[in-house]
Amino acid sequence: MAPTTGLKHLSNALATPDQLSNSSSSLDGVPSDLETSIRCAGAQLTQTAGVLLRLSQDVIAQAIVTFTRFWLGADGGSLRIYSVKDVSAAALYLTAKLSFQPTSPRSVLNVYHLLLSRDASPLWFVNPRGTPAQPPAPETYILSEGGYQSARLVLLRIESVILRTLGFDTHVALPHTIALTYLQTLGAARPAVSRRVIQHLNASLLSPQLLYVTHQPNALAVAAIYLASREEGVKLVDGEWWEVFDVDREELGFLVVAMKSTEGFMRSERERWRDQGIPMVVEEVESEIRK
Amino acid sequence: MSTAKSRWADDDPETEAIIAQQKREKEAKRRAKAEKQRQLEAKAQQTQTPETNSHPANGETGPPKKRRRLSNDAAETTGSDADAPEIAPQKKQSTALLRFPAREWGTCRHVDNFERLNHIEEGSYGWVSRAKEITTGEVVALKKLKLENSPDGFPVTGLREIQTLLEARHPNVVYLREVVMGNKMDEVFLVMDFLEHDLKTLLDEMREPFLPSEIKTVLLQIVGGLEFLHSQWIMHRDLKTSNLLMNNRGEIKLADFGMARYYGDPPPKLTQLVVTLWYRSPELLLGADKYGPEIDMWSIGCIFGELLTKEPLLQGKNEVDQVSKIFELTGPPNAQTWPGFRSLPNAKSLRLPSSSSSATSSGKIPLLPRSKFPYLTNAGLSLLSSLLALNPTSRPTAQQCLSHAYFKEDPRPKPREMFPTFPSKAGMEKRRRHHTPEAPKRGQEAPQLDFAGVFGGAPGGDTGEVGAGFALRLG
Repeated sequence: MAPTTGLKHLSNALATPDQLSNSSSSLDGVPSDLETSIRCAGAQLTQTAGVLLRLSQDVIAQAIVTFTRFWLGADGGSLRIYSVKDVSAAALYLTAKLSFQPTSPRSVLNVYHLLLSRDASPLWFVNPRGTPAQPPAPETYILSEGGYQSARLVLLRIESVILRTLGFDTHVALPHTIALTYLQTLGAARPAVSRRVIQHLNASLLSPQLLYVTHQPNALAVAAIYLASREEGVKLVDGEWWEVFDVDREELGFLVVAMKSTEGFMRSERERWRDQGIPMVVEEVESEIRK
Repeated sequence: MSTAKSRWADDDPETEAIIAQQKREKEAKRRAKAEKQRQLEAKAQQTQTPETNSHPANGETGPPKKRRRLSNDAAETTGSDADAPEIAPQKKQSTALLRFPAREWGTCRHVDNFERLNHIEEGSYGWVSRAKEITTGEVVALKKLKLENSPDGFPVTGLREIQTLLEARHPNVVYLREVVMGNKMDEVFLVMDFLEHDLKTLLDEMREPFLPSEIKTVLLQIVGGLEFLHSQWIMHRDLKTSNLLMNNRGEIKLADFGMARYYGDPPPKLTQLVVTLWYRSPELLLGADKYGPEIDMWSIGCIFGELLTKEPLLQGKNEVDQVSKIFELTGPPNAQTWPGFRSLPNAKSLRLPSSSSSATSSGKIPLLPRSKFPYLTNAGLSLLSSLLALNPTSRPTAQQCLSHAYFKEDPRPKPREMFPTFPSKAGMEKRRRHHTPEAPKRGQEAPQLDFAGVFGGAPGGDTGEVGAGFALRLG
């Protein structure tokens, strides 16, 4: 076997079965379907905020993985204690800080204030009515100075909470570059396939099956390539090529099904929460549980 | 539940300790709860949770055609693996898939799991003390990070230190065991392996410098650790003898990653305020904002010189004096040895002596004056001279360094087991403070430097008499 030290930057810490089955939120009485909905919406929130902050997708993806890890396990964060929006913002801020593209607390908070505005947000699960024809009043989405000062304190506190919860392990390996290397190895690196692979990998960040914390990046890469090549009608080499990349058929099969199901899940989520939006803060979670 | 929540929203630092206490109790309860639940549902969960085993049904419904088709030609598949030897090592009949190291994450433990024994040292980025883990009795080094005055939240230097140390698992890099916290959010401690010595204190205490064979052993380990760091795209950026730890088995480990960070190609914009002055490379002193791992190689050169003579090689009083000390040793740069140094920000004010005397060497790195290192072999001098090349691109990489002839000639590196042991200062007694200047503080302004005085402000002055450094070249 190859020495494992050199593989560290290609692999991730994965959730233990125990962490997957006992989240802090479920122990606090949050129904598991509600937890899943909120967590996925939080991942979408992080993605959108990252785009508005002009962060590159690798920073955004790492932030979403960090965000996802935070909620897992009995020692993780509970949705009845921490607001999803705060954890999302802090995960993004923290990840950007460690990257080559640091961003300021003010930029982050401005973006989150806009995205969480019930009148101006472009996100369907925050603002189900959609952006109004008339531009909304500026005060509904512009963060005041006082609001900034208090939000900044929350941001920095939650940052510490995330760090403590994850034991300061901020390492996240992503499958994107691995997938492109594999595609080249397979001689299938055509733009259409590559684009589709990246799309699958980015969509999987939102998967309710938490693929990024249950599978290593090489497996995600292989599954995305398998799906993309079929969808684009590109024939790959004969034989069990995924084993070359250290993925067995069983894992591949599971991942392919999971990746394909993400779209349907998103549709049903939209249907379910169409009228009221998804709770983004603790108070909304509480009132949702009381219903 | 609701009281805990409102407490959390409260930002009063005084209540934080209480909150942390409550939080701990709550988590203990929760863990007990989880444990109970687990025992109750043990069997039900075993069929649900382990992802790889649990979804064979899904897997089969997923790509059934593929599976069936493949089982026909499964026998011939091994042929296609030949060109991926690294990933799939030597497949035989049954495929052996590489399994990644199964890492996990978990919440920080509390610092009360450790009993502090004695204070070791205060560095620019934290306080270090020797401590004992209460349950196991193991002695560790506990480094408390300095976290005050951080308007941007958790200081990025501290985060990078943890991130790079967690990544850099190598026999010659100090082992970060875990990160623990105190009662407050800003009490963060790194738990590391305890090593008895640092090279700085050791060199101060020794009567005689290391033997040549010992120097090679020490240097090989330092460069070996650095080679690994650079291969992981990590720059240390504060290499100096006081950051090199040694245990009583002759093992050297790089420590203090307070300035370390990831770099890239092309290099990202970086701060110039790195590396302790005496170990700082000329391109940093001249204000380069693009630099790479070569700055670590310069520090290695300084450390090499220090190992030879027991004294820091270039003890400048300030940046200007440091530059003048460097040129005194290496001779001033010229367009052949360092093309383009003139365009560096601080080189504008630099007035060099007329370079006719030293412009003889064409492209080759000039050797350092032999008189400074009388006991060093030719190979050793050539290695030292290349490490202390003014032009960063002339310096060898860590990898090239390891295969240098100096390490192959007699006397060979001394086996680690044969290394002498020394009484440990860090072991029981308080250390005395070193004279090494401190690493530059993050967030300081890069000073505007005027190097007009480096050569006494005399352009074209008599260079021959100034010192041993300029024209004298032997062997």
